[in-house]
Amino acid sequence: MVFSHERKVRVREVEFSEQVSGKDSNKIRIGAFLAVMGPGIIAGLSDDDPAGITTYSQLGAQFAYRMLWTLVISTFALILFQDLGARIGVVTRQGLIGLVRQKYGARAGLLAVVSLVLANLGTMTAEFAGIATAGQLFGFSKYITVPISAVLVSFLVLRSSFARVEKVFFVLSAVFFAYVIAGFMSHPHWGTALHGMVTPSMPLTHDAVYIATATLGTTLAPWGLAFIQSYAVDKRLTRDDLKLLRVDVWTGSLLTGVIGFFVIVTCAATLNAHGTTNITDAAQAAAALKPLAGTLAKDLFAVGLIGAALLAASILPLSTAYSITDLMGRPSGVDDKLEEAPLFYATFGILTVIAAVLILIPGAPLITILIVTQILNAVLLLPLLLYMYGISKDKRLMGEFAATRNMRGIYLAIIAIVGVCVAAMLWFTFF
Amino acid sequence: MKATVVPGITSVTKVAKVTQRLVGRKDSVLARKTVRESLVSVAGLIGRPVRDLEGRDIGHLVDIVVRHSADTYPPVSGLIVKVEKRKSFINGARISSLTQDEIRLSSTKINLEDFKRREGESLLDADVLDHQIVDVDGLRVVRSSDLYLAPLDKEIRVVGVDISFRSLVRRLFPGALSRRPTPEHVIDWATVASLADGTGVVRTSSSRSKLSQLRPADLADLIEDLEGREQEAFIEMLEPELAADALEEMEDDELQGLLRGLPAERSAALLEKMEPDESAEILRDLADDHRESIFKSMDAKVARELRKLVSFDEKLAGGIMTTHLLITVETDTVAHALKLLVENRERDISDGVVVVDGRGRLLDHIQVVELVAAKPTALLSTLIGAPFPTAVTPDTKLEDVVEEFGNNRGSSIIVIDEKSKPVGRILADDLVDALAEESGYRGASQGNGVLS
Repeated sequence: MVFSHERKVRVREVEFSEQVSGKDSNKIRIGAFLAVMGPGIIAGLSDDDPAGITTYSQLGAQFAYRMLWTLVISTFALILFQDLGARIGVVTRQGLIGLVRQKYGARAGLLAVVSLVLANLGTMTAEFAGIATAGQLFGFSKYITVPISAVLVSFLVLRSSFARVEKVFFVLSAVFFAYVIAGFMSHPHWGTALHGMVTPSMPLTHDAVYIATATLGTTLAPWGLAFIQSYAVDKRLTRDDLKLLRVDVWTGSLLTGVIGFFVIVTCAATLNAHGTTNITDAAQAAAALKPLAGTLAKDLFAVGLIGAALLAASILPLSTAYSITDLMGRPSGVDDKLEEAPLFYATFGILTVIAAVLILIPGAPLITILIVTQILNAVLLLPLLLYMYGISKDKRLMGEFAATRNMRGIYLAIIAIVGVCVAAMLWFTFF
Repeated sequence: MKATVVPGITSVTKVAKVTQRLVGRKDSVLARKTVRESLVSVAGLIGRPVRDLEGRDIGHLVDIVVRHSADTYPPVSGLIVKVEKRKSFINGARISSLTQDEIRLSSTKINLEDFKRREGESLLDADVLDHQIVDVDGLRVVRSSDLYLAPLDKEIRVVGVDISFRSLVRRLFPGALSRRPTPEHVIDWATVASLADGTGVVRTSSSRSKLSQLRPADLADLIEDLEGREQEAFIEMLEPELAADALEEMEDDELQGLLRGLPAERSAALLEKMEPDESAEILRDLADDHRESIFKSMDAKVARELRKLVSFDEKLAGGIMTTHLLITVETDTVAHALKLLVENRERDISDGVVVVDGRGRLLDHIQVVELVAAKPTALLSTLIGAPFPTAVTPDTKLEDVVEEFGNNRGSSIIVIDEKSKPVGRILADDLVDALAEESGYRGASQGNGVLS
């Protein structure tokens, strides 16, 4: 029992597992399925958090349609590795970090957990940056909005009333679907967009490499990989459930890509076309929604940011605390009392406090934080992806679900792409 | 389903137990000076050179094989050594000395064999180190940070498990620093249930007998804390009756998940041993085809009985009753009834017997006390009389059952079919469970996080 909100949305879970276990028939009823969002969709929608939206906006504003292909690759990578994470969780029924420690020993386990915690701390900071940004759009100081959100999120997650509120966050973050409409209304050059999706080309500049790396890091976020796996373990999903879990994972991942696509296209057709080629504050990013919302664009954007940030900020510390306790012994969750799981609550608290405090530093550059944390994500992805790759081909752990030769090749290719991006990014940073 | 009555009490005793253990157990082998001073860290030993009698390098240690048997502390039965890129097995009898820095063999001529896993053996690095183990004294699931070997009874044996974070961090350091044993938080191997391959076959280990002394509710907590294969290995390790008792104490959704992971035969065996009403409650929530495959693996008679129970709505008397009844005929003797009670003393229904007439119709429920007071040769018909038990039909609504309980202040109600034949009983605790579930109260031990 890990994630409070999952336990508390028991009804939803039961429906989901009834469907995955094929209570009525093996047919997947799409309508019913969409009514109950699974973990893949949770992870997918949470990927379109303030950091994701900002990164995609910047990509569209700076490079218009030209670098859409980085999103295509990122989405493809997201689908494959989320799918792998789900499979590892179902087959081995172990959390990612515990499994890495078992298979690769103490050093690997600690390296994996440190990577994950740093990445999650970064992303958590980005969520608070999103809240601060949205607050500023409404005219509230970050010294008010950030502490209130930190307390609110902790309170909701640790109290059981989270289930209802979570739905509200979902609806709020669904505001970003507005980009789909805004995309059409801004009359983008579809032909150029299509060309940008399939033709990998980029200027070899500092900015281009940075934003490409951030796009990878925000789409294929480390926490999502750990989350989907621990979800499958925690819900005791079996091999029979795998089919529907995969549908869910693919849907969620594709959704991330689709929303990302429309964000980029909208920003290309509005911001970039009108000369805004570098986003430095939230008001600029929000301006992309003007064709749809007119003067309300700012409000729409801010509401979306708050919803998505709160949603992700309530899952992130839980997922992180689960991984840390998984390293040390058994994974724990909010179902455990404080004296039973001090490590869990300590991780939860420390992560939330540090992330909030970082944002409260006077003059903290919010937009920069939103993007740089995603670059950090990409760097920290590397060890995690390599461990997942190692586990995927281990016959003793995965049995008949072990990755085939072709799949291993594809996994390695993705890891190589992330590696190249990170190397190029480091090159431009230090030389 | 949880039976913890006083919230917080279990965890307090847990903490107390852990503290007690860290202070040190006097009877532990770890308290012996000879053992304490000769501890060798397994994590530190892996990768060290294996040398022959004259000190020439043969290869590097890859893993240590131990044999689980009746011994509390499993002896080292062999080494897996990497010799020129090939992994070979060296029999443990050839070890002449084993220190933290190297292993010396007793001859210069070495037989290298390929390693094959054998029943009752496990590999310390691959199967135990960094894996989940159950700390039976502390009632918790932990990961082992290190294992310690020491000479004991003429063999090198695993004596302790290190579970500290410090030892985990120690292993990060390079060179000799990572090898120095740091046995501050070591659990005696005797109080550990290792779930590694091969250990499950041992029926006599002391950890197993320790496990059998735990309360089913504590076992249920441990089962819930384990993951994957370790969880199945743990259940496999318990005596079937105890495993069934523990399962009854598990959260419904946890238990469902567990059953979905187990083979149907194993699930069937466990469910057969559980109280029928508890089994039915779980089976009712399973997917149709899964439930069907479990039924097929069951004893036909039990399956038939459970099918009937499952078909009842859980909002009705039939849905919460247990079908376990001790049925006697009025012409039976008191001695027969008492014998029946003794035979079923493990069950929670053995507070009395149900008496029926020649056609199987309910006459009375006779308490143990009445039977004990009567002459052994007396017929049960002579004991029939007021107070008569309350009876309801299976389709009685839960609220009406509650009302009957309230009116009669008895400890149970008999469920009869349309021909007045007894088909089940509802005990007060079944009713409490059913009502608790209905009202959404899910027991104190479930917890809603720290603030609730």
